[in-house]
Amino acid sequence: MSDLDKAIAQLRACRPIPEAQVRELCHKARELLIEEGNVVTVAAPVTICGDIHGQFHDLMELFRVGGDPLTQTICSWNGRLLLPHADIRLGDFVDRGFYSLESFLLLLCLKVRYPDRMTLIRGNHESRQITTVYGFYDECVRKYGSANVWRYCCDVFDYLALGAIVLGASNTLSPPNEHISSEDYADADIEIEVCNADGDIMSRFQRRDNEQRSPNGAGASAGSKTGPPGSGASGSSGGSSGNPTGAVLCVHGGLSPLIDTVDKIRLLDRKQEVPHEGAMCDLLWSDPDEIDGWGLSPRGAGFLFGADIVKVFNHRNDLSLIARAHQLVMEGFKEMFDASIVTVWSAPNYCYRCGNVAAVLELSEGGGGESILARSNGDVGRSDGGMRGVMMESDSGPKNGPARRYRVFQAAPQDSRGMPAKKPVADYFL
Amino acid sequence: MAAAQPQVPHPSTDRKRVKVYELRNNDWFDRGTGFCTAGWHPVEGSQREPRVIVESEEQPERVLLETRICKEDGFHKQQETLIVWTEPSNGVDMALSFQEAEGCTMIWRFIHSVQQQFNPGAVAGDDTLSDDLAMDMAHNTVTLPEAALGNLNVIEDSMRALSTTAASRDALTKFVLNEGYILKLIPLVEQAEDFESLNDLHRLCNIMKLVILLNDTSIIEHAVSDECVIGVVGALEYDPDFPSHKANHRQWLKDSGRYKEVVRIEDSSILRKVHQTYRLLYLKDVVLARILDDNTFSVLNSLIFFNQVDIVQHIQANQAFLGELFDIFKTQGQDSRRKKEAVLFIQQCCSIAKNLQPPARQTLYNNFLSHGLLQVINFGLRHNDVAVRVGATDILVSMIDHDPQMIRRTIYHQIQEKQPPLTDSLIDLLLIEVDLGVKSQISDALKVLLDQGPPAQPEVYAKANGEHAVRLQPRMPTADPQQEQFLDLFYDQSAVKLFQPLILLKDRATMDFSVQQASMFTYLIEILCFFIRQHHHRSKFFVLNNDIVKRVGQLLVCQEKYLKLVAIRFLRQLIGLQDEFYVKHISEKKVIGPILDVLVQTMPRDNLLSSACLEFFEHIKKENIKELMKYLVESHRDQLQKLVYVEIFRDIILKYDQTRGFSVSLDYFMEAEDDVRRKRPNVNPRTGGPMEYVTMDPAEEEYWNTSDDEEDQQAKAGSRTASANGMSPGTKLVDYGSDEDGDDHVEAGALSAEDEARLGAEKMDEEMPRLDEVAPPERLSEKRRREEDEEDDLGKLIQHKRRNSTSTNANSSNSPVFIRKGKNGSTRRDSGGGGNPKKIAITLGSSIKAGNGQTNNKPEDEA
Repeated sequence: MSDLDKAIAQLRACRPIPEAQVRELCHKARELLIEEGNVVTVAAPVTICGDIHGQFHDLMELFRVGGDPLTQTICSWNGRLLLPHADIRLGDFVDRGFYSLESFLLLLCLKVRYPDRMTLIRGNHESRQITTVYGFYDECVRKYGSANVWRYCCDVFDYLALGAIVLGASNTLSPPNEHISSEDYADADIEIEVCNADGDIMSRFQRRDNEQRSPNGAGASAGSKTGPPGSGASGSSGGSSGNPTGAVLCVHGGLSPLIDTVDKIRLLDRKQEVPHEGAMCDLLWSDPDEIDGWGLSPRGAGFLFGADIVKVFNHRNDLSLIARAHQLVMEGFKEMFDASIVTVWSAPNYCYRCGNVAAVLELSEGGGGESILARSNGDVGRSDGGMRGVMMESDSGPKNGPARRYRVFQAAPQDSRGMPAKKPVADYFL
Repeated sequence: MAAAQPQVPHPSTDRKRVKVYELRNNDWFDRGTGFCTAGWHPVEGSQREPRVIVESEEQPERVLLETRICKEDGFHKQQETLIVWTEPSNGVDMALSFQEAEGCTMIWRFIHSVQQQFNPGAVAGDDTLSDDLAMDMAHNTVTLPEAALGNLNVIEDSMRALSTTAASRDALTKFVLNEGYILKLIPLVEQAEDFESLNDLHRLCNIMKLVILLNDTSIIEHAVSDECVIGVVGALEYDPDFPSHKANHRQWLKDSGRYKEVVRIEDSSILRKVHQTYRLLYLKDVVLARILDDNTFSVLNSLIFFNQVDIVQHIQANQAFLGELFDIFKTQGQDSRRKKEAVLFIQQCCSIAKNLQPPARQTLYNNFLSHGLLQVINFGLRHNDVAVRVGATDILVSMIDHDPQMIRRTIYHQIQEKQPPLTDSLIDLLLIEVDLGVKSQISDALKVLLDQGPPAQPEVYAKANGEHAVRLQPRMPTADPQQEQFLDLFYDQSAVKLFQPLILLKDRATMDFSVQQASMFTYLIEILCFFIRQHHHRSKFFVLNNDIVKRVGQLLVCQEKYLKLVAIRFLRQLIGLQDEFYVKHISEKKVIGPILDVLVQTMPRDNLLSSACLEFFEHIKKENIKELMKYLVESHRDQLQKLVYVEIFRDIILKYDQTRGFSVSLDYFMEAEDDVRRKRPNVNPRTGGPMEYVTMDPAEEEYWNTSDDEEDQQAKAGSRTASANGMSPGTKLVDYGSDEDGDDHVEAGALSAEDEARLGAEKMDEEMPRLDEVAPPERLSEKRRREEDEEDDLGKLIQHKRRNSTSTNANSSNSPVFIRKGKNGSTRRDSGGGGNPKKIAITLGSSIKAGNGQTNNKPEDEA
């Protein structure tokens, strides 16, 4: 067992690792993250998770529910290593919960251990200013007696990527559990499937009925589609006709008025504290809203943006969906604007009292298996997901989004964990 | 309401004005208005039954409603004034809509308490049940049954019910205090433990939570007193939310070894406060962390705060104590453990002091300093135990944070006495320190101490638009002569020492560094960046004299990518200063070539390094730094050609080719003149990050706007990007009037920072709004406030939720939003009893509310 695997095991037991080890880990992580672009390209299949906020036991529950990628990861230190999924975390790993430190370090360990299987994206809480206010700083001081560990972590925050692009996501789903054969999925034209924590199907939504498609989507009125993204109508990004689904952009907050193409994100020098404004700030702070165009954000940073903005952006960048986190949604996920943007929230019973459920979003691999895409700057090859044939047959109606499976889960059973509490200060003089 | 005569049953208090509704065909049918009473009504001999009766208002003899409260859990309270249930006899859905929330609460309490009695687990409580239970609660006094294991269910239910309104909470608080109820409950914990009655222990825990959540200062003080605290936390160890867990609070708090006494505190009341504060902190952070609401949180915090004020006050005024404390360091032979603890003691004092009012803090520091705190810091910083070093830097930093001028004065004093100033010790330490945390704190301390003149508050300048000219003056007239002298001395002697490792790079052939060295350069360059922003001419001279740019350029070929990044960022800052001198210096020192090399090596990979490089060149192009573009193309054309697939470089070459020779040099001369007016960009001296607003002098902008039409047009497409880095967008000037016609200029290729962004938006699509419509002028200050708002909203949500779960079944407040609870949410509190079957909203007509005149029986219900 390497030191790293030991550290993973220790953190999985919710026990912090020694300061020296944290320093080492952060150092390694930095080496790794410096190699990542501001927008990391990830090939489907992929699991996308939202805010975690230091709710360690719920993170463990997420590992259980999230299925393949993480259970496999969990097994890996027992000698088996089979990681069919990539996993994207949309930021906000720290603050508010009582185990930000363990949660973040565990994710970082996994990142260092399986760099290609885990993508961490910066959230607005991954910043010095915010962590000093919302608890991560205090937690580090409490657990280590000094702010050093907090400093190491903040250094790593500065290196985290700002977004990810998922390529090759299929417009059909693979089965959610082993009891269902894949034949059941071959014909069913399912766009959205909601599963519970055990992988049982709770509800399904067929693709593009004239009914309301989104299970909870506000404003999901069908019929007002601007042409399908990636249908070639979007001349700007190299005319990728025949792309079945288009790419999925993952960011923590949302869009920025200063960013009109994904490539613009690549031109940011991200290694800095999250600024109070500017494109980098907006990506981490903005929220979608039922408005036209851009609006002032009540958060005081970032902007609100409406359906028109999302559609134009998606169209221009050949995206079919934007997956973001940043807002508490009681059902764990919420699709908006004709399913052009979705909010994923992965902290169940937020702050141990909000009573919400959490979700992760699964995107399947494109059919035929030839959608192997380099994990690199992915401007080339995005257009060919190997799905052309499938698309051609049923070209009657545009299929725009990738098929999405939401696995909804609740807070970890309380008995499986200790009582959530902060670590008390050990000694006192005054 | 007329609760003033509590003992006498009074019609107006007992009889609640109410409307009765019945659900018919999915519509709420008004059965009339009347007065509602609830109580135990005799039936068949001695038997009594709990009933709710409504007598008609107009015909007092007529009974509008008489219903028996029975075992089925059919009653629900909705909002403030509604009680709904399904009549067990005929299955009809009924609703009572009360005129006043209090009336509703009283009736509901009765119903609820009765339903609790039917709870199978609570059979024993029959004889404590009295028919005035329901009405008693509104009175100013309450009594709870005697504290005994058998009564726990009644106690818990009554307390829960009493906790719902302010008046009854007060009464309950009085009762708990007067009766010493906490002390009576405490022995029950051990009894229940002896019986291994988990049920009772859970009830005790709930009761104790209810007591604490009464938010009464006296109760909480009592709870953490020596006699109570162990029992209280003992009860709280058995949280019904975690039935299979038991906390070990008692064990933790009983461990008296946690208190370290460096110097004995003689005053027993202060000593008690020390312990009390620790318990309060423990309560806040550990025991109650999960369940605290905002009110209790602030009660706890203010208790802690006032204790700490008293403690610090006592210490700083206690000369004998301070003398003894600081004497620890003066004697040679003292054992080192005690010295260490003394440092940590002072550290804790300082961190507590951070919460105090500035004057109190000031006196504390003054007293510390006069007793020789600096020597202690000196001792601590050189200690071989990291914990001590961390402690000492913490002390130093907290004092610097409080008032850097105070420390600076001490340093001036040292200089006058010809002692080595504190900064020199810090520099020594920075260079040898191995603990990265200490290192970064020292580097921060150095920055603050050497910060020039009026505290750097770039925000102030950024906001006071148009006053930037002032900053152009090389020195502020208000500068402190001592500070001048101090800086002179620093640049004469210390700076070379501080940046020695950088300067020594000159003779270094290879760029292989240990982790320690690499991190050293990171800190040094960061500090230097800060100095360059703050000490204009001094630092310029230093950079020039020591060939710093060249040295930093050397780092571009090192192995460590993050170090390369640091070097790039340093150079990026220099060109970002828009200072003619640095631009020239950079091109003379030929450091841009290596950056280009880094980029060529990295491309086409998309990583942090390539992003930083691209941003660097993007800035050159966007800001039209002609000197550098000229240099780039003339000296590195081949490399640029390799990169022409990137728009930026295509544009740079094009620009150069179009304007080569005459225009470039001409522009260059004009630029040099113009540069005087060119304002200093807003760079945040602390973070080194760019500030929000890059202000443009309108006249100057005019100049920029009217030069090089074609090039700029070429640049249009690409130039939007750079603004995306938070550097220049959002430009919001006082007099941007001229810019409104800037749209015309756009055609002519006029691209101010804002225009670019706007153009970008327009080009992108019509839907994109103009930047100037969305960028608010005052973002920074708003941000904090709004961040709080976000918290507030969350707080509301939490409160809402709390009320939902702790109070009875009330789907409370006026919020029509029905929060769907997760499984945990609804099962955690057993009193929740499932979700509400229906949600109805009924409001009484205004005439009824007025309570006089004719009754308008027209229902105004919205089902």
